[in-house]
Amino acid sequence: MSRFSKTLIALLVAGATGLAAGTAGASEGYPGIGRAATEAEVKAWDIDVRPDFVGLPKGRGNVDDGMELWETHCASCHGVFGESNEVFTPIVGGTTAQDIETGRVAALVTGDSPQRTTLMKVPTVSTLFDYIQRAMPWTAPKSLTADEVYAILAYLLNLGEIVPADFELSDENIREVQERMPNRNGMTTDHGMWPGAAAAKGGLGNGGKPDVKNAACMKDCKKEVEIVSALPDYAQDAHGNLAEQNRPVGQTRGKPTGAPAEEAAPEAKAGGAAALALANEKGCMACHGVANRIVGPGYNEIAEKYRGQTDAASGLIDKVKTGGQGVWGAVPMPPQGHVTDDEIKQLVQWILEGAQAQ
Amino acid sequence: MASPMRIRAAAKEGVTEVRVLMSHVMETGQRKDSSGALIPAHFITELTAKHNDKVVLSAEFGPSVSTNPYLAFKFNGGAKGDKVAVTWVDNKGETRTDEVQVS
Repeated sequence: MSRFSKTLIALLVAGATGLAAGTAGASEGYPGIGRAATEAEVKAWDIDVRPDFVGLPKGRGNVDDGMELWETHCASCHGVFGESNEVFTPIVGGTTAQDIETGRVAALVTGDSPQRTTLMKVPTVSTLFDYIQRAMPWTAPKSLTADEVYAILAYLLNLGEIVPADFELSDENIREVQERMPNRNGMTTDHGMWPGAAAAKGGLGNGGKPDVKNAACMKDCKKEVEIVSALPDYAQDAHGNLAEQNRPVGQTRGKPTGAPAEEAAPEAKAGGAAALALANEKGCMACHGVANRIVGPGYNEIAEKYRGQTDAASGLIDKVKTGGQGVWGAVPMPPQGHVTDDEIKQLVQWILEGAQAQ
Repeated sequence: MASPMRIRAAAKEGVTEVRVLMSHVMETGQRKDSSGALIPAHFITELTAKHNDKVVLSAEFGPSVSTNPYLAFKFNGGAKGDKVAVTWVDNKGETRTDEVQVS
């Protein structure tokens, strides 16, 4: 069962307990806190109308009255014919006489209708009643009487050609209207989002069975999961070097990504400029800056890290030649076969000496 | 036979506002169906609105008008109980007229 439905049930149970305690007359669980809701208060809140019409108030209203009410309260947002697409999606449209016969809106399957309207989707007329009564008009919810809600609903149903123009909707015939709702067979409960037991056991859904089929893989599991804010290696370069795509001012600089970089091979001290030129020529500078990190570490960082280590040069020469990974993070340094040993040696020395360009 | 139009006509301070929702496929003739064949054009070409028997609006429609067109217009005059009739003709020669009383 999903966490959502567990929570929902927990809330429902809590609510039911609260009500029970309330009607008993005291909040026993929490002495001194609040008071129980009175029966009248509970009744005032309890306005929902369910698909089986539990909670439906008595009343009646006809299409003509509904039209007047519609133009007064509803048409400014929904359009005179419920067709308006300007403030909300259309309420009416997209349904056919055939749909009323079959109980399944064909346009939902074929995509013939440019947009899904309320009447195309809603399977239960009680939902329309409940929603209008509860939430409409937008500026004054719950201001309509039950008879007015019946009338407005009758008008809407007439616009959808579900009921004739001389129809009077009431709590007595609303069940017959339900049998003509265009999408009444469009709702399924055979999936895990419905709470409670499976339909076979008196619940609504399938007992919380998820609709995905992946079996849990229990092989080669990671021993530890480390949560980091980082891209996986394979995705590093998915959009090019992000750092280059952000302006160099402001707080957002972009993470340097891009293809794995060569470690810059600096020249010998003899000519800093020559070494820099060599590094440029061999492509080192694509990933390493003299004084900044691009993909790989900056030369200044490398020099700092190995300062005073006399044997650093030989290790680094190997690294440049054969590649490496891990010292500076996950992005690997690829092997640099196109650079000769002498050139590598020159570059490494230049780096370790501080990568001075002059 | 096409479905009826929905028409509302309301007179207020000497001006009658008419709103019409037509039911028509308004096929442009440029779309293709799933097998790649052209869907033949089928759209309203002319529309006429009459107040009692006097023409108050005459319009030429074309394939660029949407499916189930919505039309609203006002004319001077009109009183409660007057008749407003709207007629359309499409390119297949089909026609439909619907009439309401001004409210």
